Order: sequence, then C-alpha cells, then structure tokens
Amino acid sequence: MNIKLNNRDPVYLQIVRYFKEQIAIGKLEPGEEIPSRRELANRMKVNPNTAQRAYKEMEEQGLIYTERNLPSKITTDQAILGKVREELLVEAVDTFVASVRSINVPVEELLDLVKVKYTSKDEDKEA
Amino acid sequence: MIEVKEVEKKFGRKKILKGVSFTANKGEITCLIGINGVGKTTILNAIMALTPIHKGQILIDGEPLKENTFEKITFIPDAITMLPQMTIAESMEFMHDFYASWNQERATELLSFFKLKPNDRIASLSKGNSAKVNLLLGLALDVDYVLMDEPFSGIDMFSREEIANVFTSHLIENRGVIITTHEVGDIEHLIDKVVLLDDGMVTKEFNAEEARENEGKSVIDVMREVYVR
Repeated sequence: MNIKLNNRDPVYLQIVRYFKEQIAIGKLEPGEEIPSRRELANRMKVNPNTAQRAYKEMEEQGLIYTERNLPSKITTDQAILGKVREELLVEAVDTFVASVRSINVPVEELLDLVKVKYTSKDEDKEA
Repeated sequence: MIEVKEVEKKFGRKKILKGVSFTANKGEITCLIGINGVGKTTILNAIMALTPIHKGQILIDGEPLKENTFEKITFIPDAITMLPQMTIAESMEFMHDFYASWNQERATELLSFFKLKPNDRIASLSKGNSAKVNLLLGLALDVDYVLMDEPFSGIDMFSREEIANVFTSHLIENRGVIITTHEVGDIEHLIDKVVLLDDGMVTKEFNAEEARENEGKSVIDVMREVYVR
C-alpha cells in the first residue's frame, strides 16, 4: 500500500481515490478481499476512524461490499467498475487540458504530440 | 469523555490557565498543541488531580475527579520515571505490583511491538528506546483514557515512526487519548481532534479531517493562522 498523502485533502477521500486507482489499473480485482479497517489504518499510517470513514464512503459508492462478519471485498458490478475507470480518465484529461490550455496550441498539433508521446511511452515500457 | 471546563490555575500570582475548556472523546486521539510553557503539562496534571485547580471543573465520563480516577486514566510523563539501574522487566514487575489494571498480556505484546529486550537496563537505553519503555508501561494498563506528555519530543525519526505506529494499532483501540505536542508534522494524519492553546486559553478546537474537508486546510495551516499574526 504505497500511498502518499497530502495534508490538505480529506484523508478519507484520498484513501477512496487510492482504491479507485488500484481498481482502474487492475491491481485490485473484482471480488478481491481488502484489508480490514484496522490493518489499512496501520499500513497507511492513518487514523483508524478515518479508515473507517473511507470504507463507509466506498460502501456507499458501491465500490466495496461487506457480508456479515467477512472481510470487505471489491465490487463485481461491471457498471460501477467501468465508471471508476472513466472517472479517473476524465479527471486526468481535465488536468492535462487545464495545464496545456494556457500554451494556446492548436488542438491538432496537440493531439499529434499526444499520439507520439503516448505510444512511444508504451514502447519504452515494453523494451 | 474527558471534559475540561473553564479551568483556571495560578502559580503564585501568575495565571497559567485562564479558563481552559475542551473535550476529549473515547475512541479518539486529541492533540493539545501550544508553544512551550503554555500550560499543556499543567492541564494533564490537573486531569490526573496531581495539581489543584483554582476555578472550573474537570469531568471524566460525566463525573468529577475522585481518588480512584487513576483507575480510569493513565498519565505517561515526558520521560521515564523508573530508576536507571532497573531492567525493563523489573520496571514491568513494579507496575504489575503497583497497579491493579496492569495487563501482562498487553505488556508482553508491547515489548515485542517495540522490539525491546526485557533484560536491558533503563540506564543503557537510547532516548528512543527509553521513550518506548515509558510508553509501554503506561499503555499496558487497562484504562479508558491515556494522557501522553510530548511522546515524540527529542527522539530520533525512526523511533518516532515506531511510536506513531502504536496509534494505528489495536493497542490503542477504543481508548481516549490526549497527546501534548508542539510539533504535529508527522502525526497530522493520525489525530482526530486538535486543541490549540495560547496564552492560557484555548484559541481553537477543531476536527482535523473536517478542516481538510470543509476548508481545504491542513492542521499546520490552521496553526499558522492562530499563532503567526
């Protein structure tokens, strides 16, 4: 659980986001058991009450589910899982757009550059 | 719940506490923050009835302080009070004999949690390990509330990390904890409530997560607003 917390965003939302990222990149799989609240608090070095709140939030969003007395698990609901991926993608693109907008580059030029960078990065990884 | 209500305390003519009020809940970590000399330790002493107060009231679970208050609360001072020639094991035995609430099982667990060797003498311990033994002796008592005076002060970074791990473990679970400190940097994510003291009064009492959620402010941001004017 490699999470880097910042000091200004609510910690429980940072934890929720961490889980969403892990789901989106496939590190956490549908139906997979997740650590107990206590264990999570311990591993992430956060207040146990905050960990509890993060789990409650994730339950409300349908990201995890808990059957009586069993460890909580990642949802298997494909609709929710798909939404997580989309949400993170849209967020990342928003951030990107916001930061390049001030440079005032024509969109075609930008897209060409994105294509080059995005694919070359993939090749780098495979090499 | 520990309720401190309008507490005033004088040393000679000097008023140290000028009407201090705050509450600390069970199952939460409350952090008393103030520049040194502001009366943090005096507040803890007052909660333990170790020092008389001149005005105000302190309630533990709705009841005023009594002779047996120490059965509900433990006070962990900022330095170990055991004799230097004692071993860790001997200090533990001493606590066992002295306190009915001593929990041997938890004490043994804390010993391995902190990776301490029972036959080491107090005098031979590093500052960090000495702080851990000090904490062990207090945390092994089966009480509802734990008061810790500057548990992170003057010890190395890695010992601080190990001590901070106690706060996220079951060893603290469901207890009410009050910590005094003048430095919150490395425990910002561990605390529930923050009580800022200045000039003998509480200038602000807030929930750390709420400050982040509602105002986008870190604990240090709020402290800066209060202390740096």
